[in-house]
Amino acid sequence: MRTELLSLLWLVVTVGGYYVLKPLYRRHPRWWTSPLFTVPLLLAALGLVLGMNYPVYIRDTHWLVLMLGPATAAFALPIFRYRRLIQRHWPALLVGVLGGSAMAIGSAWGLATWCGLDDAVRRSLLARSITTPLAMLMSADIGGVPELTALFVVITGVAGIALGELMLRVMPLRSALARGALFGVGAHGAGTAKAYDIGSEEGSVASLAMVLAGLLNVLLAPALAVLLR
Amino acid sequence: MKTLHARMRWFAWHWPQLARWSQVLVIVLVWFVCDQGGRRLHCPIPGSLIAMALLLLALLGGVVPAVGLRRGADWLLAEMLLFFIPAVMAVWEHLPLLQAEGGRILLVILAGTALVMLTTAVLVDLMFHWNRRRAH
Repeated sequence: MRTELLSLLWLVVTVGGYYVLKPLYRRHPRWWTSPLFTVPLLLAALGLVLGMNYPVYIRDTHWLVLMLGPATAAFALPIFRYRRLIQRHWPALLVGVLGGSAMAIGSAWGLATWCGLDDAVRRSLLARSITTPLAMLMSADIGGVPELTALFVVITGVAGIALGELMLRVMPLRSALARGALFGVGAHGAGTAKAYDIGSEEGSVASLAMVLAGLLNVLLAPALAVLLR
Repeated sequence: MKTLHARMRWFAWHWPQLARWSQVLVIVLVWFVCDQGGRRLHCPIPGSLIAMALLLLALLGGVVPAVGLRRGADWLLAEMLLFFIPAVMAVWEHLPLLQAEGGRILLVILAGTALVMLTTAVLVDLMFHWNRRRAH
């Protein structure tokens, strides 16, 4: 099949698959019914037939990834809507984001060293907890491979939805603030989407925590790069 | 200003679909200008964050009413999972590496993410209750 047609087919399957499989998640919200899991599964199955060629795949779908930029900008609205909440609770949020980000970097470095992963992978893992566009930026700063980081970020997102759900069941968290921050710092945009399913207050705390964690990490990246040289 | 805001509110109420798409377009344009501008000036802060700060300032300053962006922003945020999917397919580029180290990478991500969530939730919960007790 011609490359242009194949690229177009990938785009149609990606967008079509997403809209077909989304109602499934709405009816049974579990991590394994999330479109972030089911659609790549569908694409991978189709890839066995059509060939797993990423450059051909991304040719027409790259503009979908670009839309993450405006989506990040759109976070201005939930932050504005919940500005009172932020004014009241900024110390708790700041402490949570600082502690969570330190744990994200520390645990990734420690566990990756312990597992004997190679250096490029280890560096790419450091930025995995923050939102994709910022993670790719940070990864480039600290000597990782931005594309690998993007992949790890997404795996973190899918894993984070499942883990977060589990944790809320196990841990007696009494405040919407803690429930939201858990998703925002631990699982970036995917977690934020999940947090909105739980409640709009949790969702906005999650989006705010996500933005704060992302900013903090990007601003600290140059210092971290010097430290890890 | 007042009449413009009133008009935007009326527009969003009477043509919700049209309002949504035009708002998405406005957000995309703001992002595009910030992204290109930031790149031209070699700004270390990514364009998406500059755009977010700009939109937030516009909302806080009352230049744009929240109704004027709400539908568009909600759509972008709701469909964010779709925008992530093509990034996942980068797996195909790194199949040999992932076959060799995939299991361990997954372990690091799962254990690390659990630790991050635990730390964040416990810290925020402690701070929240400490704050409330102090306020009483």
